[in-house]
Amino acid sequence: MTEHAVSRESFAARIWRKTLDGAGVKVGLSWVALLVFAAVFAPFLANSMPLLMSKDGVISAPVLQYLSVEDRWVLATFFIALAVYRLPVGSAKRILLFLLGSALAAVLANLFVKPPVLVIYDDFRSPAYTEADWRIMPPIPYAPTDYLRDLGSKGLEAPLATEGHTHLMGTEENGADVLSRMIHACRISLSIGLIASGIALLIGVVVGGLMGYFSGIVDMLGMRLVEIFEDIPTLFLLLTFVAFFGRSLYMMMVIIGVTGWSGYARYVRTEFLKLRKQDYVQAAVAGGLPLSSILFRHMLPNGVAPLLVAVSFGVAGAILSEATLSFLGLGVVDAPSWGQMLDQAVKSSTFNWWMAVFPGGAIFMTVFAYNLIGEAFRDAIDPKLSSKAGVNR
Amino acid sequence: MSGQLLEVRNLRTYLQADGREVRAVDDVNFSIPKGDTFCLVGESGSGKSVSALSVIRLLPQDVASHPSGEILFNGCDLLKLDGPGIRAIRGSQIAMIFQEPMTSLNPVLTIGEQITEALQLHRPEMSDAEAEQRTIMALEQVQMPQASRRFRDYPHQLSGGQRQRVMIAMALACEPQLLIADEPTTALDVTVQAEILRLMRKLQDDTGMSMLFITHDFGVVAQMAQWVGVMQQGKMVEVGPCSEVLRKPRHSYTQQLLAALPENLVKPVSVRPHSQNATDQTPLLQIRDLKVWFPIKKGLLRRTVDYVRAVDEVSLDIPQGQIVALVGESGCGKTTLGRAVLQLEPPTSGSIQIQGQELTGLSARELRPLRRKMQIAFQDPQSSLNPRLLIETTLTEPMKVHGIGANHEQRIELAGLLLESVQLNRDFLWRYPHEFSGGQRQRIGLARALTLNPEFIVCDEITSALDVSVQAEILQLLLSIRQQRNLTLLFITHNIGVVEYLSDRTVVMYKGKIVEQGETAQVCGQPQHPYTQKLLEAVPRLSL
Repeated sequence: MTEHAVSRESFAARIWRKTLDGAGVKVGLSWVALLVFAAVFAPFLANSMPLLMSKDGVISAPVLQYLSVEDRWVLATFFIALAVYRLPVGSAKRILLFLLGSALAAVLANLFVKPPVLVIYDDFRSPAYTEADWRIMPPIPYAPTDYLRDLGSKGLEAPLATEGHTHLMGTEENGADVLSRMIHACRISLSIGLIASGIALLIGVVVGGLMGYFSGIVDMLGMRLVEIFEDIPTLFLLLTFVAFFGRSLYMMMVIIGVTGWSGYARYVRTEFLKLRKQDYVQAAVAGGLPLSSILFRHMLPNGVAPLLVAVSFGVAGAILSEATLSFLGLGVVDAPSWGQMLDQAVKSSTFNWWMAVFPGGAIFMTVFAYNLIGEAFRDAIDPKLSSKAGVNR
Repeated sequence: MSGQLLEVRNLRTYLQADGREVRAVDDVNFSIPKGDTFCLVGESGSGKSVSALSVIRLLPQDVASHPSGEILFNGCDLLKLDGPGIRAIRGSQIAMIFQEPMTSLNPVLTIGEQITEALQLHRPEMSDAEAEQRTIMALEQVQMPQASRRFRDYPHQLSGGQRQRVMIAMALACEPQLLIADEPTTALDVTVQAEILRLMRKLQDDTGMSMLFITHDFGVVAQMAQWVGVMQQGKMVEVGPCSEVLRKPRHSYTQQLLAALPENLVKPVSVRPHSQNATDQTPLLQIRDLKVWFPIKKGLLRRTVDYVRAVDEVSLDIPQGQIVALVGESGCGKTTLGRAVLQLEPPTSGSIQIQGQELTGLSARELRPLRRKMQIAFQDPQSSLNPRLLIETTLTEPMKVHGIGANHEQRIELAGLLLESVQLNRDFLWRYPHEFSGGQRQRIGLARALTLNPEFIVCDEITSALDVSVQAEILQLLLSIRQQRNLTLLFITHNIGVVEYLSDRTVVMYKGKIVEQGETAQVCGQPQHPYTQKLLEAVPRLSL
């Protein structure tokens, strides 16, 4: 009777379960999970200040004191997501709760948290911190912007070159630890990829879906809109916005998302134009099903395959867009990103393999992981493919 | 045996698919005398096309193998020939025409170029002028009007029947001794089919060629064949002279096939509701002056220059509890009419009333409660069910929307009952469409149409894509459901046999207009309109 029990789960739950069935997707998801973990807990994983220390009987946690507004918001959002996932409510409510909680956390963090504006990392190497009764340091005891010039090192160092202070992935020209920078950069690369493509996907599917389904005048107007957005040079728009409003990661995400949806809309439109004449869609119309069901249950899953491939490349594209901006020196100023690190490697006078290989490898792995997930998702939606793979039902 | 052009002995063709070996053709013997037509008949998947492709060696080498057998063409074994050897015979001595005239011509070359190319390939000594002359002759031979002008036409400028003529002209240009025709008229309308069949018989008389004719239609067999071979699951179950096989079939499978033809099915006369008082009760569905026109837009500003009058001023009454057959050729607007009735296609003008309620001009929300009363079942079993959804979801979703059944469990119970009412297993709820055969999918399609307990169902060619035996089952099922639920059906079809078996009334459409309607017996027995007469005449009948 397992057959019946399994079949009564919802459409979304079944797709999700089947997506997880493959081997490739597990590799992809574990990489993404690793990135998420690193992004959320970056200040605790790589930082110059002790996690916990005791001096003269007073126990303090310098990391917590110095947590930035953004750090706190990311942490709060992460735990809200975990809590919401556990709640026994519908998926639509879950998403709503998550968004509300996250927004609330952002507001609270901005209102009430006032971390020290200036961080002088050398202080943490002064006796005030080192001569404690005991202290617990993060696994990587270097902050991403902790340039070790004053320590006497010459700056650039290959991985594990010097004894005494270990840099697992070496240091860059200014003496900052590459691994630490990699960990902190996860946040930007992960979020810009996901959020920018998410925005683009949402707009693209809705606009493309409506164009394809209604065709006629809606389609004509929609296509003109698509063409207008295709004519906007994203890079110059970004440059203009940076010039007027300063450098902001969130602005970049929104701009990349808002200008990037036209391709998705085209894919969805073409598929929908084809699908709307299919008999099962006509039967759904004749059955009086609501428009949302016709569009998203009867049409979208049947036309989603090319979209998923496009999205997995879109995520990669967004990560690379950010890298391009960083390359032009218009990225986020101080926080490191993989693109910016690659750019550093290119610009440095000598070729230092560790500066290129690690961020480059991380970008490659991330793009690869999204591709694997996209592919598994596509196969899960197609019952023919999933039954061939031996995971019938 | 000197009179035999082609002799096939103990032919086996095995196909490799997904690591399995399929015995597509299993120990088949037949022979074709010079100048005669041999018809291969059978249901889909019986191996008739594979047999023909084996003869002309068109099966991909890495997939197909011939463990045994001989194919003697003029005494020479085709299976032993190498690549160049078979190519010399293909096209020049054995030619082939295919089922789908829409895809078997190259759309970017003119038909003249295509025929000339085939000609010069096999007769390299022929000059361009000579080849063109010969091509025009070939086109005239297939009775192509204005052959010399058509020479420079592209395939899209021709109708389906004309394209099939071009295919035949191309096949015959090199004067082959054997023509293999794989369902050459299946995709054509009956009137066009009749013309093409007449043409092929005439050409055979003129040139003395033999034909290997593949079909599933016994009416066509009766018209074309001197010899018949009946195939079932790769085996030839019966071979013999045409009249003998059709009149006194010996094998049980042949008997079964012939019995399943709609004209041979026993009509359940008793179940028919009396229609004498049909005049005084109001009809279930009233269509008045319905027009569905599609605009043709041209130019930069997409101005409407003309309309395609798919349905043009059609008025029709469909009485409660009757089966009304809508007959006509492809493109006559019968499907559009069916869709317009269900408001799947917005009508340009006119009125449609179901039980006195006007359907046109309603918004989607106002229409929703009326959707319950009328449903549709489709032709193509491949596309009629959403491949991504379980049958259970397909059946219960409309119920949920219309508030049938108190909860999900009840709806599943109802869906199970529905599957049983179309003679399927209840457990099929938990499967996906691709796990079913064409006939089973059509039953599921019917079950879906029944989920909302409608009073009226449009059946759009629901049996056209099915084999005769499956068609017979579906037709019988339809009659029994009609009786149980007192359904009214609009049955759209091009198959006159089905019309005579199933319907109470018949409506004939031609070029968007209704040309004749009345009691089925009357319309089919004494057709009044010239088009109806032509249509009925063109139907290939089994009676010899």
